[in-house]
Amino acid sequence: MNLFEKIFNYQIISRLDDSGTFMVTAHERAWLKTVLEHPAASEAFTPETLAKLAALLAEDEAMDTGAHLIEKARSREKQVYHPLLRPLRRLIMNRSGIRVTHALKSGQVYSNQLGVPYRLEYSMVKREWYLLWHHIRNRAFMSTKLDNILSVTEQELPLERVSDILTRISETLENRKAEVLVQIIPQYNQEMSRILYALCCFDKEVQYDAQTDTYTVKVCVMGDEREFLLSKLRFLGKRVRVFEGEYVKRRMLEASVKALERYGVVEEVTVMVKDEDALNPAQ
Amino acid sequence: MAKESFDKEIQFLRLLVLTSGAYNRKQFAKRLGISVNTFDKTIRRLKEIVQTTYQQLPEEQGKEFSEGLRYNYYDSADPMLLFLFRAKSLKESESERLSLLLGALGTQSFTALELLDCCTNAMAAHLPLPDEKTIRKDLKYLEEVGVIRKIGGARPYRYAIRGELVQELTEDELLDLYDFVDVMAGTQIPSVQGYLLRDGLKKQLMRSHSEKHAVEPFLYKYHYHSRILDEAHLFTILDAIRKHRKVRFLYFSPKAEKSYASQNTNPLFERKTQGKLEQTLPLKVVYDHQYGRWYLLSYGREGIRKYRMEGITQFEEAEEADPVWFAEKQQELLEKLRYSWLIDTGAPVTVRAKFYNPSDGPNFIKERVLLQGQWGQIVEEDDEAFIYEITVNGTTEIKPWLRSFGSSCEVLEPIRLRREMIAEWKEIRAYYESV
Repeated sequence: MNLFEKIFNYQIISRLDDSGTFMVTAHERAWLKTVLEHPAASEAFTPETLAKLAALLAEDEAMDTGAHLIEKARSREKQVYHPLLRPLRRLIMNRSGIRVTHALKSGQVYSNQLGVPYRLEYSMVKREWYLLWHHIRNRAFMSTKLDNILSVTEQELPLERVSDILTRISETLENRKAEVLVQIIPQYNQEMSRILYALCCFDKEVQYDAQTDTYTVKVCVMGDEREFLLSKLRFLGKRVRVFEGEYVKRRMLEASVKALERYGVVEEVTVMVKDEDALNPAQ
Repeated sequence: MAKESFDKEIQFLRLLVLTSGAYNRKQFAKRLGISVNTFDKTIRRLKEIVQTTYQQLPEEQGKEFSEGLRYNYYDSADPMLLFLFRAKSLKESESERLSLLLGALGTQSFTALELLDCCTNAMAAHLPLPDEKTIRKDLKYLEEVGVIRKIGGARPYRYAIRGELVQELTEDELLDLYDFVDVMAGTQIPSVQGYLLRDGLKKQLMRSHSEKHAVEPFLYKYHYHSRILDEAHLFTILDAIRKHRKVRFLYFSPKAEKSYASQNTNPLFERKTQGKLEQTLPLKVVYDHQYGRWYLLSYGREGIRKYRMEGITQFEEAEEADPVWFAEKQQELLEKLRYSWLIDTGAPVTVRAKFYNPSDGPNFIKERVLLQGQWGQIVEEDDEAFIYEITVNGTTEIKPWLRSFGSSCEVLEPIRLRREMIAEWKEIRAYYESV
């Protein structure tokens, strides 16, 4: 199978788009046939649709990549699909309001909260789905694990109001961004590729100072992403140093001081060590 | 014509994604080992593809292009590097002809001669008119890639587009299909074909739902965008494995070669040498979720060899190996990989680490250990902490993961790893003490 088929050529695709023609190759059907074997398929389709798809793909061959491909350091796959994905994606598409009843981590339940759904987000780290939504009364941007949603129903809201809220969400998200400057210690420039790979899942920009042969990575994070960045920074250890970003710097100091305490290495350091919240790892 | 290779484009895009914005044209070209002229040509070509594919135009060359490629998470869930797989070059006349054929077949079935007429009438004036032989060749190609099929048994054959996936499904089913393809391409590997299919279905949906929120309800957090670049080699390598064929390629190790250590530039992207010509028997491909990187594991004269797929260029198949011997070597490799956190095939060692539970709230530490701790086991547990034990080949690969838990993890054994952790935390503390 060659991924660089001429049929995928950009000029062809753009011309087909102009003429409104749908085109699908054997490559794509083989991929589809393979992923349809995943248990998630039964949650993604009604049994009728699933049967229809199986019939449509009957003459196609599945891909046999599985035989010689090994995945390592993979998180346990808790959840690929969630029963709420189908109804929620339709509510998002229709720009509806919602009434949500959901539980918090503490177990406390909030009933019938009025809101506007924004997107469904999958965390590759936690392997779980979240609903991103706007809580109308609290005027808050929420991220709620689908597993914690007890019920969700449609609530009609004027379209203009929903559009306003969605615009506001985009603005809020933009304002929430903070920059953290991470310097790669030049001594470890040889490991550059590994370090940049580890950071490449963030919105980032790299600066290079040719004079000192120093790379600095400007990472753009939202408030709640800082925990994940911190776990990545601890992951990289001494190879990188946070250059700018007070909160992150303080947390790295706390982590090192407390870790050394665990190992029985206590030296006098003047630092306020905050408690466990400092340790919440990846998002 | 020589077979078109996309090595340069792949290396180029990878460097662009990893170092986004770091280098100017000259530095960039130097690190790729190409001339500034080639750099400019490559960027012009890639820009044209991006522009045609996404109708967006990054402004200037170099730095600005990389910013144009910068990923805005909430803006679009389109995989930003997918356009690489649209890069196969084609003569204008051929791309127009194939599009015309598919456009016509999109409405009804035709015979080859009827299609010749369609093409002749619709072809742009400045392009050469096709003859029957060319049309038959095109149809054969389209049939081979599974886009069209012959219908009816009698000559002259009629051809029809294989559009069942969208024709036979209701609008609601199509939405389910699009979502499923989006989710599976977003969460599983390999994903390029899935993304290509998603692209086609998305356009189809856009024809009835013009608004973006209708077709992009999903986001995937913390993706390794460059992972799809290596899928370019994946299928050719897997094919060689299936056929027990040796392969030859020019390898550029992403790690520094000793001979360059003296150079005062980042050796990683230095491409001054010619790379190393390798011949080896591929056994397995490994995808490492920790970094989003791909490896080729093979058998060569020196025993088991490991190659980062991103360093592989000018790949070609060589002679076939004895299947029995191949099976033996593959089994040997599997045995050795059994305890690899990633791909380390060194001596196994038992690591014991104590993880401390958070003082209140849900136990996110334990959750994460269970989620990411691979085949390791929790062997002891009390209210305050639990002990995790795992046998791994060497400690190098698991170390960053253990360290990422910060002070919630204390390595107990082996003692050497415990000492290394202490030393490293001391260094980290020193970085921040003065702040």
